[in-house]
Amino acid sequence: MNTLANIALRNLTRQKKRTVLLGSAIAFGVMIVTLINGFAGAFSANVAENFSDLMAGHVFVSGSEKGEGDKTLSVIRDDSALTAAVEASGAPVRYVTRRSSFAGTLIFEGKKLQTNVDGADLSQETFLRDRLLLKEGSWDSMSDENALILSEKIASRLNVDVGDLILVQLETVTGQANVGEFRLAGVSYDAGIFGQMMSYANLGYVNSLIGLAPDEYQTMGIMLDGLKHTDAAAEAIYGRLYGGVQLFERGVKDEDGAVTPFQALMRQQKKESWEGVKYRLFTINEVLSQIEQIVAALDTTAGVILVVLFVIIMVGITNTFSMVMFERIGEIGTMRALGVHRGGVRSMFLYEALFLALGGAVAGIALALVAMGVISLFDFGMDSPAFIIMRNGHLSFFLPPLRAAANVLIIALLTLVAVASPAGKAAKLTPAEALRTQK
Amino acid sequence: MKRFIGAALLALLAAAPAAFAQDARAMLAELDRQGDFAGKDFAALYTIVSQKPGEKDSVTQVRMFRRDDREQFTMLVMLPEVNKGQGYLREDDNVWFYDPTSRKFSFSSIKENIQNSEAKNSDLTKRSILDDYEVAGTTEGFVGKIAVWVIDLRARTKDVSYERIVLHVRKDRTMLLKQEDYSVSGRLMRTTLYPKYVELEGRLMPSQMLIVDELNPGERSQMTMTEQSLAPLPDKVFTKAFLEQVNK
Repeated sequence: MNTLANIALRNLTRQKKRTVLLGSAIAFGVMIVTLINGFAGAFSANVAENFSDLMAGHVFVSGSEKGEGDKTLSVIRDDSALTAAVEASGAPVRYVTRRSSFAGTLIFEGKKLQTNVDGADLSQETFLRDRLLLKEGSWDSMSDENALILSEKIASRLNVDVGDLILVQLETVTGQANVGEFRLAGVSYDAGIFGQMMSYANLGYVNSLIGLAPDEYQTMGIMLDGLKHTDAAAEAIYGRLYGGVQLFERGVKDEDGAVTPFQALMRQQKKESWEGVKYRLFTINEVLSQIEQIVAALDTTAGVILVVLFVIIMVGITNTFSMVMFERIGEIGTMRALGVHRGGVRSMFLYEALFLALGGAVAGIALALVAMGVISLFDFGMDSPAFIIMRNGHLSFFLPPLRAAANVLIIALLTLVAVASPAGKAAKLTPAEALRTQK
Repeated sequence: MKRFIGAALLALLAAAPAAFAQDARAMLAELDRQGDFAGKDFAALYTIVSQKPGEKDSVTQVRMFRRDDREQFTMLVMLPEVNKGQGYLREDDNVWFYDPTSRKFSFSSIKENIQNSEAKNSDLTKRSILDDYEVAGTTEGFVGKIAVWVIDLRARTKDVSYERIVLHVRKDRTMLLKQEDYSVSGRLMRTTLYPKYVELEGRLMPSQMLIVDELNPGERSQMTMTEQSLAPLPDKVFTKAFLEQVNK
């Protein structure tokens, strides 16, 4: 066996140019596929981390209070039980945020636009300043009670400049019509398709518009030491809250076709009846679970590219090995005459193909890792339209080891399939026939 | 004697607002009565022409069916053609919206605007001003050349869309000529004018309304009521099945 493997290796080194070309083709395909896999691997984590910063938390708790006429109000009036549960959970909490929000219509000189406005305590949420870079205006202007930060896209569609007064039409938590007046304090860099999500105002003013008291709010955000702690922390906090306050069940399956666990939770709220306040605990992963579908799509694309590239490469490998068999026909005859069995000849060709595939795949992965390292050095800045899929302005990659191993395995198998036919033909040659055949 | 006259004047001044409030309540009760078809069914066709700056006028037509005894209504969208077959149904406190494209019902609200107009569902339904609002003040004024009582009302409940409304009611007969709707923050949001009325079995129904959006200058809707009827309606009109069948 070792002898055959050694011969196969020697054969590869005998034709360096051919080996390098074939190996390069394999390496190129593997590199492309690995880069896509690496991008997909980091995509969901990057999006979730960036959204965690914008939404101010990895784990969230919101309150639903039954008001007059069985109407549901979104409010947390007393959060002592919540903060106690967060502290007792032992979760690695970096900080806790409190926010209120509304969906309203911004109106400025005949132009209007629907958007969500998040009310945040900006004296506490200092990290938001690092995450959301301003193109115009300054965060210091947010000290004005009715200050507002809009994304570049929204500001442009409304045709507003820093300092302009913008009307906002909205509904209070009880559904009454209300009108407020914001002064534009800053315009943030556009975050592409997520641009409309990023309007920020002071919590106190948002509370006054939606009919909540200054010390009340709608959603508690719990920022952890990292995304990886999210599910464990959510379980721990839920466990601490359970029995102490009314809670919506987590992880419910919805038969009405809810797309995400978060949507299922919201639908559950509409079906249930309760008195007082009932809390809903959800995580950034549940809110963004559709991101997983994007990751799955990227991985599928990578798989399709892998197969297409290798079908092309396989044709080349099959042709090359058919040629190799013809070139070495005398050598095969000699080996057979010296007692090497048919299986040995076949194995020699297959070893050769396997070594070629493994070498190419490893080189491809190594090249991909180098490319990832180089690409991730580029700083696209937090003002990049694609900042939501990047980590601190840098494209980042994560290659799951099992996926890399699976790619290598697939390539090895495909290469063996490609070489199976010429290897079979070589094995079938009788020594006499092989020795008398002239090249 | 002077003291007696002074005391009497003071008593009169003190009693005046209470009397005004009493009169105002009577006027509100009459306005509520005029819009309440208890014991009968009501049906009408409303045509709403909406104007927005820079856009072509849009026409919305809805057929309204009301059964005020049970606080039920069914509203069918007839125009624009693209939204034909959409409908609203009020059952108890729930308002459902039916979309014939998806064939699904979803939660809606009486506070929602009708299609893309300035009119709200609640503009076409029975009103309960006395239950929903309390009188904060009454003054005299004019709408054009017509003398009116100006009744300032504050919401008793948070179920109503507007925290404050100001009604301009004709002095010589109880007829609402103008209504101003204010936001919780006290800003004028909407002004509605009622230039034309029709009499329907002793009740005055506005047959034309002009709704002006005060936040978006130039945006207004004119609503005209025609084909009004108090004929009995089949029970099935106030069911989800009716909205589904209409589209088959």
